Amino acid sequence: MTQDERTAQDAAARLDARLGELPLEVAPGRDLWLDIAARIEERAQPVASTTRRASWPWQAAAAVVLVAGSSLLTASLLDRNVLVQQSAVPAVRANAHAASDAAVVMPAAFGPAGQLDLEYVAARRQLTQMLDQRIAALPTSARAKLEFNLGEMRRAADEINAALAEQPGDPLLEELLLKTYQDELAMLSNISQLTSSLANAPANMPVSPNGERMQL
Amino acid sequence: MAYAGEVVDELQRAREAAEERRLVTSAADGSAAAFEQLYRRHSARIHALCLRMTGNVATAEDCTQEAFVQAWRNLPRFETRSAFGTWLHRIAVNAVLQQARRRGESLGAGDSIEREVADVLADHATVDPGRSRDLEAAIAGLPPGARHVLVLVGVYGHSHEEASQLLGIAVGTCKAQLHRARALLSARLGETERNHDAG
Repeated sequence: MTQDERTAQDAAARLDARLGELPLEVAPGRDLWLDIAARIEERAQPVASTTRRASWPWQAAAAVVLVAGSSLLTASLLDRNVLVQQSAVPAVRANAHAASDAAVVMPAAFGPAGQLDLEYVAARRQLTQMLDQRIAALPTSARAKLEFNLGEMRRAADEINAALAEQPGDPLLEELLLKTYQDELAMLSNISQLTSSLANAPANMPVSPNGERMQL
Repeated sequence: MAYAGEVVDELQRAREAAEERRLVTSAADGSAAAFEQLYRRHSARIHALCLRMTGNVATAEDCTQEAFVQAWRNLPRFETRSAFGTWLHRIAVNAVLQQARRRGESLGAGDSIEREVADVLADHATVDPGRSRDLEAAIAGLPPGARHVLVLVGVYGHSHEEASQLLGIAVGTCKAQLHRARALLSARLGETERNHDAG
């Protein structure tokens, strides 16, 4: 080791020693508890979800845009043969369809670190129950594809939620979780539209050259 | 006698750890009173971390507050595999990074802000407050990337692997930033000492 290297090493050691002497605890200049207490009332006394939604406007907007927009996701899951077979599915009650549409277009806010808006959770549960019934009426191959994809999305959401529990506030994980919920919601929405269109469509509805029998 | 003292210390630590677990469980069940006690126990450490990482008194308070709010929201899903303090520390680092992104990393600039941070920190120094003040001011004046790494590795004793994970950077980048931070600090402290000597 040269003299210069030794000098640099000594300087680094002295600096490390000084850094090691710095206090690790410094109380805030004012008591922050009152402000924190005001913000944490939500969980102790659950209030209207609008409070939380206000802090996540970008998420709500993203969900609405995504849900309201059309997607060809389901068309890729269900091939032409499946669609043709599906025309035999009994008509779904009109009121159930209306309820599902209302649920789907409702602004859905995703709370921090996977805490979902109560309205979203209720709408999702309602939609899922209804779709389960519709999916059960699908041909086996189509049902298997749908269930596999939904299962994958939910498994991904569970894993991201577990990671978020370890690292709350991690922006990448939050973004991933939001994206996963959006994908799930989009898929549920499209299944809803697809199955109801097919149920209501006349049996002789023309099929496009691509096999697209419905307009999403 | 030394042995008896160690046993007493060990028992005391075990008692405190058990008490903390109890508070964490109560807070996770919705007890704001239990959470306040956790805040009282950990706020000084979290605030010091935020103060050094942001280099800004007002922002450090915001980040401290945000870290505790995030902790409250996520407590029901906190698994006691890691200590509550370690978990909270991680949340605080995320709060600082998010704050920095929102503000475009513009914090910490300006001699008056560095001095303000240094004064707050030096007031708590146990060894030579004057020298601590110079060191804290020099840390606050570092570029954000170098400052974050220096604080986590140099002050709080994280390994490069831990710090790189917390900051979302490569281990190599972490090492390079620490090297840069040390060089900048040494240069600045040398300059300060020369100024003191001249004065």
